[in-house]
Amino acid sequence: MLKNLHAIIFTNQAEYDLGPLTEIRSMSSVPYGGRYRMIDFMLSNCTNAGIIDVGLVLEENYQSLLDHVESGKDWDLTRKRGGLRLLPPFSQKAGSGNPRGRMEALANLGSYVDDIRQEYVLLADGDLAANIDLAAVFEAHLASGADVTPVCTHNYSGKPSCTTYYVPLEDGTLDVLRRPDKAVGLECLNIYIMSKEFLSRSVKDCAAHNQYSLSRHVLIPNKDKLKIVPYVFDNYAARLTSIPAYLERSMDLLKPEVMADLFTPERPIYSKDRTDASTYYAPGSAVKNAVIADGCIIEGTVENSIIFRNVKVGKGAVVKNSILMKDCTVGENADLNYVIGDKGVTFSANSRLAGHQNYPLPIAKNQKV
Amino acid sequence: MLLAGGQGSRLYALTQNVAKPAVPFGGKYRIIDFPLSNCVNSGIDTVGVLTQYQPLELNVYLGNGEPWDLDRANGGLHSLAPYSTSGGDGSWYAGTANAIYQNIGFIDQYDPEYVIVLSGDNISKMDYTEMLAVHKANNAAATISVLTVTMEEAKRFGIMNVNDDDTIYEFEEKPAHPKSNLASMGVYCFTWSKLRQYLIEDEADPDSSNDFGKNIIPNMLNAGEKMMVYRFNGYWKDVGTINSLWDANMDILDPNGDLNVYDKEWPLFARNPIRPPHSILPHASLKHSFISSGCIIDGDVENSIISDSVQVGNGAVVRYSMIMPGAVIKPGAVVEYAIIAEDAVIGAGAHVGSDQVYDDPNKKVAVVGKGVNIAPGAEIEAGAMLYPEKKGGDK
Repeated sequence: MLKNLHAIIFTNQAEYDLGPLTEIRSMSSVPYGGRYRMIDFMLSNCTNAGIIDVGLVLEENYQSLLDHVESGKDWDLTRKRGGLRLLPPFSQKAGSGNPRGRMEALANLGSYVDDIRQEYVLLADGDLAANIDLAAVFEAHLASGADVTPVCTHNYSGKPSCTTYYVPLEDGTLDVLRRPDKAVGLECLNIYIMSKEFLSRSVKDCAAHNQYSLSRHVLIPNKDKLKIVPYVFDNYAARLTSIPAYLERSMDLLKPEVMADLFTPERPIYSKDRTDASTYYAPGSAVKNAVIADGCIIEGTVENSIIFRNVKVGKGAVVKNSILMKDCTVGENADLNYVIGDKGVTFSANSRLAGHQNYPLPIAKNQKV
Repeated sequence: MLLAGGQGSRLYALTQNVAKPAVPFGGKYRIIDFPLSNCVNSGIDTVGVLTQYQPLELNVYLGNGEPWDLDRANGGLHSLAPYSTSGGDGSWYAGTANAIYQNIGFIDQYDPEYVIVLSGDNISKMDYTEMLAVHKANNAAATISVLTVTMEEAKRFGIMNVNDDDTIYEFEEKPAHPKSNLASMGVYCFTWSKLRQYLIEDEADPDSSNDFGKNIIPNMLNAGEKMMVYRFNGYWKDVGTINSLWDANMDILDPNGDLNVYDKEWPLFARNPIRPPHSILPHASLKHSFISSGCIIDGDVENSIISDSVQVGNGAVVRYSMIMPGAVIKPGAVVEYAIIAEDAVIGAGAHVGSDQVYDDPNKKVAVVGKGVNIAPGAEIEAGAMLYPEKKGGDK
């Protein structure tokens, strides 16, 4: 039990656009990996590290996310004391728009940060698919005596124009680069551990000076005064920075070693629980190289694809290089290639749809094609 | 009241360490999920589960009843084990009736008008409200669910002989010359005040075997109570033997059968493992099979049920088999007409079972018990029964 670490997860900090997939939901609520929403990974990382108090910072477009997390029960975060807390911007001034950065988002929560009962706080984003041992990160933070421990990776997956980089220099100091032209050094995964006292003070300082950004206004100006010790995490981590990246990151899951890394049984990834039956493969089915969730009925051909729960693929249908989210139906003899079907899309019999590897075709939720 | 204390001794290696109702079934379920889902879908929100034999795994599985929506402030799911009392007169459940007798206090707490008694070891999809409606409409003391069987099959069941109005006038256990083909399913509806009285009387009879079929039902009939049959015509199967368990697993595989697991009107609930979707690798071939979450499949699977977290290696073949959670079928192994229990490992190139006639009631289904390791290249014959402590490869 990590009773001394509190987690705050930002659910809408990403500046990425996934077209129709993010029109109706925040990045944290984007479906990924056959049965998950992006937020599941960070919530599970918290649970698996024994963190019991988790605040979820909500901004616009959060209905889909609320439907998904409900009380936090599926992540074992429903507690008499502590547990999951949903944090809409309850202290935000009317008409001031979405917060410009993490510090402003926290300022919008009034006394929330001051009232945290733990000595340390973990800040993270809800749009990172990675299985990270946060207990180990916390141990490293305590052992190093750092003021701030950012979790960073050598494996770049962010957009440099939206990301912060930590570059260890030859003299042993660390340079912090916000939004450089190209990725350099260690890419930050937007996970930080710091003391509550430091965070609380920084939030107030920023608010007093009309500042809003953790990296731009807190870390970079003070990089020589603060002890910043990056924690390097080089296992699999996915960020969905665009529709082609969404396809690419999804196809990564066809590699068993990526599945084994992301879903290691030692640290399970929890999600909203639904009882679905097993998936049925009919006598005429032909499936190769696919990740398929429960509750599907597969009568056709599926190759190089990610299939979410309760999807039906009819006789003679061919689904290749595609992602079909929950409750999609593919009619008989339909043919899909490089298609991303959001929840509940119906592809009628004999329909033919094709995108391209660099330009997959997203179909909005509940559309009939 | 769900009777879940049976040992299930005819399931041999599968019930070595678990109660029969906790045996995995149909890819995502345990046997007890069927009566529990039936209760919930029938609107019953207070369920007592009577446990006795090897209850640990069953109790862990049931937990607080949350997967079945039975974690309630009022009512909900309660696991009821036998207990001792201050007078030292507590005891194991001596029979099905005694199990309910020992829990009269539990039932009285809820002051119900009717009590349904179910056995936790058969597979069915059944709306108990229909049975209750028959019971209430006829103002009966007891209503017994029956299946119509053939006269030949009737010799193996408890048979209800009824009048034209479906009132029961006689009960015969396994009659040599059946007068009727209405077989009891072990699913009863009672008016609680009546059942309560007969349970107390039965307990006072030192010669009684404290059993519903042998004692309570005949006693109520002899006393002239009004007893009805409820004619059920959906899916029901007792899974007390290896072959019937195998058959019921094959039945559930048929998406057009009576056990349709995708039926949104009658959902089946279960406690789900926390596992990712399954991976189908490039060499896999799947025909008429269930695959569940967390599996990694790179071999041929045909007419089989693969539960969660199972691995089937490259070149391995699984045919007409039921594979329980966590089992590993190594590359090149062949598994035919078999039940492979949880976490068993079938070594590379090993061969378990052999081809059988699908419909043959006496076919030989091989069983590999929980955690058993079959050595690479080993041959396990059809109908073999490998217990957890036996090592297959050493045979």
